[in-house]
Amino acid sequence: MSDTSQRTPPGAPRRSIPRRSLLAAAAAGGGALGASWLLTGCSGAGSGPGAGPAADAVPAAAPSGRPAPGGTLRIARPPASEAETLDPASALSAYEYLGALYNRLVRIGPDGNLAPDLAESWEPDDRARTWTFRLRRGVAFHDGRPFTAADAAYTLRHILDAATASPQAAVLAPLVDPKTLRTPDPHTLVVPLKTANAEFPSLLTHYNCYVVPDGSARSIGRTGIGTGPFKLSSFTSAGPGRVTAYEDHWAGRPVLDAIDFYSVADMQARSNALLAGQVDLLSQTNLDFATARVVAASDRATIARAKDAQWYVLPMLTTEKPFTDVRVRQAMKLAYDPEHVLKVALQGAGTAGWDNPVPPIDPNHIAAHPVHDPEQARHLLKRAGHEWLAVDLYTSSYDPIFTPMALAYQESAARAGIRIRVKTAAADSYYTQIWMKKPLMATYWFTGRPIDQLLNQVFRGGSGYNETAWSDPAFDALLDRARAETDDARRRELYGEAQTFVIEKGGAMTPMFADRLVGISRQVRGYAEHGFEFDYLGIGLKGA
Amino acid sequence: MFTFIARRVVSALGTLLLSSVLVFLAVQALPGDVATQVLGKDATPSAVAALREKLSLDQPAWERYTEWVKGAVHGDFGASLVSGKAVGGEVGQYLGNSLLIALVTVLFAVTGSLVLGIVAGLYRDRWPDHLISTASLVGMSVPEFVVATVLVLAFSVALPLFPAVVLYGPGATTGQLLPAVWLPAASLAIVMAAYIVRMARTSVIDVMASEYVTTARLKGLSSWRVVTRHALPSALLPTLHVIALNVAWLIGGVAVVENVFNYPGIGKLMLSSVQNRDLPVIQAIALISAVVYVLCNLAADLGAMALNPKLRTRGGRAR
Repeated sequence: MSDTSQRTPPGAPRRSIPRRSLLAAAAAGGGALGASWLLTGCSGAGSGPGAGPAADAVPAAAPSGRPAPGGTLRIARPPASEAETLDPASALSAYEYLGALYNRLVRIGPDGNLAPDLAESWEPDDRARTWTFRLRRGVAFHDGRPFTAADAAYTLRHILDAATASPQAAVLAPLVDPKTLRTPDPHTLVVPLKTANAEFPSLLTHYNCYVVPDGSARSIGRTGIGTGPFKLSSFTSAGPGRVTAYEDHWAGRPVLDAIDFYSVADMQARSNALLAGQVDLLSQTNLDFATARVVAASDRATIARAKDAQWYVLPMLTTEKPFTDVRVRQAMKLAYDPEHVLKVALQGAGTAGWDNPVPPIDPNHIAAHPVHDPEQARHLLKRAGHEWLAVDLYTSSYDPIFTPMALAYQESAARAGIRIRVKTAAADSYYTQIWMKKPLMATYWFTGRPIDQLLNQVFRGGSGYNETAWSDPAFDALLDRARAETDDARRRELYGEAQTFVIEKGGAMTPMFADRLVGISRQVRGYAEHGFEFDYLGIGLKGA
Repeated sequence: MFTFIARRVVSALGTLLLSSVLVFLAVQALPGDVATQVLGKDATPSAVAALREKLSLDQPAWERYTEWVKGAVHGDFGASLVSGKAVGGEVGQYLGNSLLIALVTVLFAVTGSLVLGIVAGLYRDRWPDHLISTASLVGMSVPEFVVATVLVLAFSVALPLFPAVVLYGPGATTGQLLPAVWLPAASLAIVMAAYIVRMARTSVIDVMASEYVTTARLKGLSSWRVVTRHALPSALLPTLHVIALNVAWLIGGVAVVENVFNYPGIGKLMLSSVQNRDLPVIQAIALISAVVYVLCNLAADLGAMALNPKLRTRGGRAR
């Protein structure tokens, strides 16, 4: 599970249910080994430090060209669980269906900026206390009902309803009182906020925020009626399903006639299906390098990349010794070379993070960072009374990158005299027993959160997803100042300061952003995915 | 005979009860519960508390167990904690799919391996024996998931004869599953057959060296008659128990192989249920496994009685 599922909240790995037990993980590992050995010959593709062949064997981009109209795309996806639902607001939503069936008010464009979806424009009042969204006209749901402001308001109320238990409710509830939403006319939604927030529209780009019809809470999980480019034909939890082109979609008909979704829990089984030509695309699947090389070498399939699709973290619990001391945290960061970890663990397929969790694609990202300095790290440790620091670093087979990353960190930090003991924990309870429990471990998140949500969910004191338990009132106040700042340039500066704050004082080491290696058929054209955005309108198949 | 069977049934019921207690305790001992496992990273304290209350996980463990036993006695195995569906129907559906694999596997593995084992025994130390013995040793040593992967690469990727994975859910029809049955069945049969071949070979060699076979030969019986009428029944006796144990092993081996092929069978259901800590489903599957074990062993014992000359001659045909 795995595969992890998803329900991955704040940018977390989407799949939180480990899709693989130890048994299955072993099977998958064995399978990948067998596969790479059989098909490509033993290339000596060791993952030994520095010895890995560059990821050059894996193509950098999928075949380009325009798709031909029509056709059916077959997607293999990791199921979340038997309790999967089509309700976008639910923690148990079947992620892949959402973008095909629904639209949001606002989405994130390829440049990282907000882009219109069902809202054509939006503006705050002068203090960013009230936001007004002008909604698109002439949009109809799949059942023919026109989309109006009542649906948009209902969607927000549905997310905030305690009975929905939506992960996004924790983000929106402090800002929005569902009783105060106003719809002055059928194409205008007015959202008064409890506290000023100049970034509010970005919070509606989350995949829990897809717009559902007014009053649909009880049925939406099965009907999947939205305004998206595809309408539901069939759906089974953790089973097969099908969506077909919605001819009356407001942005035009999609290229494809239909998409078949198949759920395949085991990652090795998913790539076997691709190699055998049974499916065309593996969604939410970051192939390990051995499997990726096998896929790239086959006639039927190749590898596409979702750039910087996930960010890897070594969170230090700031409530546990020795990480309560900010000097130790700084030393841990200065001690290792992110470029080295990137080279070893990702074979270069990504971008060095330099402990800044804000992805390079985000317009607010700052490039400045302290330099790798083992001597300074040693010095800081000495002052903190932790010379020759020895700590346990937990990893698991939950994700193929965790252990290489831990070993690369271990090797790099050894130069500053830090002794890391890498410990492997069970994959299937990794996120219940290790994450947020052990002082130092390996984890990752999916990128795609807007900066306000990212910093507030993962780094603000008291947040449910604050994996370092870091709590600094000065930092929280800085976040409050930033989100209340209506001047765009000034707000960007404040978010820059916040990033510097995280880099210098926070508990999270962010060695790198990793490209997701996506297994894809050579017939697929127009694949485009970034963050939580997947282009269902434009994707298609090569003509005959 | 009847007292024998009655005794076995009583001890079987005891085994079932004991296994249900053990499984229940084992699942309790696993870290996390349904709420934390299903929610994963979204398992914020309030979300977990809400889900626990909804699933009555907030009640003490022994209360939930006695509730379960009460229901099970009346044939009600409860509902899956994850999907909310009745366990009986859900497990039954997956079990039916697995039986399809099991049937094909047992048919091929048992007949094939018996023939091979006997041939190897009869041609002891000659080339058919060397060939069969080496092949079965290899089959025994390679884990089933490797066999499965090799078969997929050979027969679905390189030579696209069979589907690599099953894309249908548990509700697939037999017609939809049939093309996908062969590779999983072959993977299991290869591993399973190896043990039976070795056992059959050894017992055939033992029996062929025994005095009564020599006597039969001296009486001038044809080799065919010696082997089929006199040697085989005795040689099959020890093999029967190996076959029984292997059939029972299937239910475990199937878990790994079904996952590799995404086959919607009971092994895959077991894996996801354990990951999700879906206790009612795990209990039902454990019960089924225990029943299969008990039945296989009972069948082997009865088969042994039928093949044992002493038992066969007891009923009035005494000379």
